[in-house]
Amino acid sequence: MSELVGVFATAHTPVMINLADNASENVRNDVFAAYRDVGRRITESEPDVLVVISDDHLHNFFLDNFPAFCIGVAAQYSGPIEAWLKTDQATVIGDPELGAHLLFEVMERGFDPSFTMQFTLDHGYVVPLELAGIRGHHRIVPIHVNTVQPPMPSMGRCLAFGQALGAAIRSWSADVRVAVLATGGISHDVGTPRMGMLNEEFDREFLRRLAWGDTDSLVAYAAANVDKAGNGAEEVRSWLIAHGIAGGSFSTLYYQGVAEWYTGIALGEWEIQ
Amino acid sequence: MTPRNWVEQMPSVSAFWINRVLYDVQHKPREAASFRSDPDAYLSEIPVSDHVKQLLRVNDIGQLYLSGANPYLLRTHCLQLQVPEPEYLAALRAVSDQAYGHE
Repeated sequence: MSELVGVFATAHTPVMINLADNASENVRNDVFAAYRDVGRRITESEPDVLVVISDDHLHNFFLDNFPAFCIGVAAQYSGPIEAWLKTDQATVIGDPELGAHLLFEVMERGFDPSFTMQFTLDHGYVVPLELAGIRGHHRIVPIHVNTVQPPMPSMGRCLAFGQALGAAIRSWSADVRVAVLATGGISHDVGTPRMGMLNEEFDREFLRRLAWGDTDSLVAYAAANVDKAGNGAEEVRSWLIAHGIAGGSFSTLYYQGVAEWYTGIALGEWEIQ
Repeated sequence: MTPRNWVEQMPSVSAFWINRVLYDVQHKPREAASFRSDPDAYLSEIPVSDHVKQLLRVNDIGQLYLSGANPYLLRTHCLQLQVPEPEYLAALRAVSDQAYGHE
């Protein structure tokens, strides 16, 4: 049977790469060390496959057909799709067998995600893997959750989707080790008049409630307060999916509000239940 | 001041077409070339008001935001156009009251 060996979450703002020098050297050193630490933890968990959860920022998908959830079942993924992102183009090997297994299993558990066999990674997938130093080290299954265009799946629905994914990962008959990396958030605005303004109170309370473990309280807090934390904070849906997958307790590995990068930068890890 | 993440909870038809232009110009080189070479001709095919066409033609960042442009598409459009970051942020800040109401 497959084994879930690690569940992690990180911010993914491309500003960390494109405008890195906007932040002080101390901040850069601390943040980049935190990403390398997550990369080390993932490497030490020895996964064969990495399930990477993010939102497609209106690159692969547009308003002509925008999925709430989408599971990647392609053999490979190139990226980044953004020509403006200052990182190398690369192709990462996919795991279509695991992607298909997740797709069928969550459909048995009351979810109807779309699937894609042709998907180009954007910064939500590329930036964390690059900063963690593990880009291309593992087969991946990208999963998209809509956090960029209302209407979006509810916070509670995302947690439940994570629980279904967690059961699906654990039910795979293949002898494979699977780790999860969820990306996005926390507080930030992209392309709004508030861009550059953080909400550290939201960030710290969201992280506290993740660690607290009361999922009803966590979901209610996120839903009630996300409009005060910025449109980029809608990406806490990725964190809630990871929370549902793990089922265990959460620990913040790093948090710093970095106004120069427009973002509350957080990294965390769950214990596996 | 009412904090909110989205101008439109469901995109209007006009917002759809604004976003269609922003998306196509970003992702389809032929569309981008057409838009840049003759924006008036390009926009003549887009079913939006003359006011919205003008916003797109001059890339009026703040008013496009208020008109329902998806903030991510608007952001990447401006990155592609290499709009200087301070200019981009100032254009958004200038419509803060209209977006959220007065303090």
